[in-house]
Amino acid sequence: MGSKEVSALVRELVYRLLPSKSELEQGGADRAGRLDAIAERAYNYAVRIFGSRIVPSIINDEGAMAESIKRQLVLQGRSSDALAFADLHRRFSAQIGPGCVENKWALLYVLRSLAEDQRRENAETRGIAGSLTSTLSGPASHGGLPALPAPLDRTGPCDNLSPPKSMVVSNGQMLKVQNYGSTSFPSGGVLILSKDTENAKASAIREFVELCQEESEISEGALVRDVLYACQGIDGRYVKFEKELDGFIVDEAFRVPRATRMLVRKLCEVGWLFRKVQQHIDESIKQGHMEEIGTVGQAFCASLQEELSDYYRLIAVLEAQVHNPIPLMSVGNKVENYLSLRRLLVWLAEPLVRMRLLAVLVDDCKGLKGGAMAGAIHMHAQHGAPIVRSIMARLLVRVCSPLFEMVRRWVLEGELDDIYEEFFVVGHPVKAEALWREGYRLQSGMLPSFIPESLAQRILRTGKSINFLRVCCDDHGWAEAARDAVAAASNSGNRGGLGYGETEALEVMVVEAARKIDGHVLKIMYDQYRLRDHCLAIKRYLLLGQGDFIQYLMDLVGPDLSQPANTVSSFKLAGLLESAIRASNAQYDEGEILDRLRVKMMPYNDGDRGWDVFSLEYILRDPLNTIFTEAVMANYLKVFNFLWRLKRVEHALSATWQTMKPNCSLARLFTSSGSAEKSQVAAILRRCQTLRNEMNHFVTNLQYYIMFEVLEYSWAKFLEEMEDAQDLDDLIAAHERYLTSIIEKSLLGERSKLLCKTLCSLFDLILRFRALADRLYENARAVQARSDSSLRKKLERELFLSNTSRKAASMDFTVEFLKGMGDEMDGVAAEYSSLFEGFIAQLPVQQHVDLKFLSFRLDFSEFYIRQHMNMSTAPLKLKRTPIKASRSS
Amino acid sequence: MNERARETLELAYRMSNLLKTGLDRSTLAVVMALTEQGVNPEALAAVVKELRREAAALRSVSFSSAP
Repeated sequence: MGSKEVSALVRELVYRLLPSKSELEQGGADRAGRLDAIAERAYNYAVRIFGSRIVPSIINDEGAMAESIKRQLVLQGRSSDALAFADLHRRFSAQIGPGCVENKWALLYVLRSLAEDQRRENAETRGIAGSLTSTLSGPASHGGLPALPAPLDRTGPCDNLSPPKSMVVSNGQMLKVQNYGSTSFPSGGVLILSKDTENAKASAIREFVELCQEESEISEGALVRDVLYACQGIDGRYVKFEKELDGFIVDEAFRVPRATRMLVRKLCEVGWLFRKVQQHIDESIKQGHMEEIGTVGQAFCASLQEELSDYYRLIAVLEAQVHNPIPLMSVGNKVENYLSLRRLLVWLAEPLVRMRLLAVLVDDCKGLKGGAMAGAIHMHAQHGAPIVRSIMARLLVRVCSPLFEMVRRWVLEGELDDIYEEFFVVGHPVKAEALWREGYRLQSGMLPSFIPESLAQRILRTGKSINFLRVCCDDHGWAEAARDAVAAASNSGNRGGLGYGETEALEVMVVEAARKIDGHVLKIMYDQYRLRDHCLAIKRYLLLGQGDFIQYLMDLVGPDLSQPANTVSSFKLAGLLESAIRASNAQYDEGEILDRLRVKMMPYNDGDRGWDVFSLEYILRDPLNTIFTEAVMANYLKVFNFLWRLKRVEHALSATWQTMKPNCSLARLFTSSGSAEKSQVAAILRRCQTLRNEMNHFVTNLQYYIMFEVLEYSWAKFLEEMEDAQDLDDLIAAHERYLTSIIEKSLLGERSKLLCKTLCSLFDLILRFRALADRLYENARAVQARSDSSLRKKLERELFLSNTSRKAASMDFTVEFLKGMGDEMDGVAAEYSSLFEGFIAQLPVQQHVDLKFLSFRLDFSEFYIRQHMNMSTAPLKLKRTPIKASRSS
Repeated sequence: MNERARETLELAYRMSNLLKTGLDRSTLAVVMALTEQGVNPEALAAVVKELRREAAALRSVSFSSAP
């Protein structure tokens, strides 16, 4: 601004506007004198005003100005004038170049305000009679312009304006502004000249803006920039991270209004969350150990970083906005930053949600790894909001991909690719025979929640089968089965890449693979290793299925086994076994099976007979070992021992029967003797017979029961189940069930211990009886032989002496012998019946249903029960109901 | 050059007359010169108004004090 020209112009203006001396002189000389002073003062005032930085409240827009003027004209009802003005203005603004007005807008503005002023003045003068004061402005009515301080401070307190006390007089009139020079500013008040009423709102906004700016020491732009830094976790100049408060806040040292502080704090929550996520990523990737994190943890960090890169993108855009301000259209000429704190709030709303989600995930996954981490993340994915779902879906696909890869490898190749122990299948190094049962286990801690337990079992079994085939069966045909499974899986639409959310695809693949591999395993077991044949062989030999063989064996081995245990030689027994095999139908069995049949001598104590330590065994190797483990074979041995003992007892009784055969001759023998002896002998003989019959009845029925109700039945069921078995686990379970049922039903189980003891004592008793009966009949036969020879009288003379002595001795012997025999027989009989009754009585109380059949067989005529009832009354009440039940059945 | 200046002034004068600002040609020329110089138009308008008032006051006083 060329001030010399301006001051000259101003002087000119003053001169022109104020009335001339001549004019004033007409009125009075004193006025003329004052003119100069007034002119001088006016000039100062004008200069002062021009030096001030009063800003017009409307923008520098010529077109708008012209429009507004036209509108005013129209409003005044002067439409033609408005048109004329429009025309003029068009021509006026078309003029460009030297000699023209550059600042057209300013000129129009001046014209307009002057016009308004004139209009108002006219209106006022018209309305009022002649009052002079009303035409005067505020300052003029006070007798002149206010006294302004001598040093004109042009740039002074214009910026810091305290709130103006303004009042609107009326809608269509000026704002009257009071003079507030006496308030806080020592340099005196500054007039704010009133604007047109249309700008009332604008000026109010402007005042508010100035107020806000005055309140805060830091500009909003600086705060916004700092907040953006905080959103990336960096401390800015004003906004720093406070450890105690655990958040980003504006530094206390700066004077910032409380509302702004709260706003900044809210905005910086994003920064806090970002910090947390970033810390986790740093710890895991840059500083952490791989063993603690594992591949799943790494995948998690990678996907977090991807999400964060989206966030960075947004922050970059926002930062660009901060440095690239767009001028506002409404408030003044001053250029504001585009990005205010409130705009930032809106922009950061969505990233806040996302960052919160990531931070929650980070918190939950601390310390987890592998499948557990995947499961925890999956739990969070059960959320309704679509934004959360989309983020979680992306995240989970990444996180679960190592897991799914591991599953795939395990299921299709049997390889455990798990360096960091993240997989839910854990392998132990064990011997080959324990591979199936203990080699691999499920670790449910690492099982993610979206893989159900049944699927996990299948996965485990499939991989286990592959390993089993490879290790135990030496079979490489499983590769084909696996290839088929892979082909089937890829046919189902999955291009080999499984991901989260495709649990059904995984299930399909696993089921397919499981089916193929399991089928292959079973095929191998049946065909290559002849599982069925071996089971049958065990049944025939260990469970005494091959009757003729057992008979021969017992005949051959019997005498040897009666010796004390330590004198029995297993070689001899093995030889006897061989001859028994050759003698029976067993010779037609295959060599492979017969090879496995051996004699086993169990560890013996003192006083044991051979019978107690003898047993057969069947040798099995891998892979059949997995089914017939040591425990299983021990059970078989138990059953064999029991059956063998039963067989021995039966054998003994039939042998007794053989010795008892020549009964008639014996009877006839004693007819010739005295009647007393005859009756005694006859009585004893008869007793012996009946006792033997009883025992035989018992043993035979027991044998039949074991053979038909227990062994054959269980075997049939086992065969059925073997057909139905889908995989090796099923097979093993079926076999276990088979064996368990045999053991339970033959009274060898836990619950039948008492009965078992009873049985054993019964057997012992029967053997004692056998010995007794043998002795009796031996003596009887000896007597008979002697008497025969005495009847023939061949050797009478020779044997007279011996006969008489021997006869006398035998006669004596016979009587006492008979008495002793009789006593013993009685004892045995009594003991037997009591034991037997005890046995029968306990049978119906047993849990197992089939034992009722045994009691039925043994007591089908209820002979014993009735006898029992006659003998004792107390246990009756217990037994009444079961008897009725058996009767009704 | 002058032609154009005169034309501009003429146009401005006519506009000013339409708006009934009460400025005569010379005053308008001064005003135009001032705005060209970059003076704030609002301030300028305010000054003009004040000067006019002052003038009116002088005239009225002189007239009223006329004997």
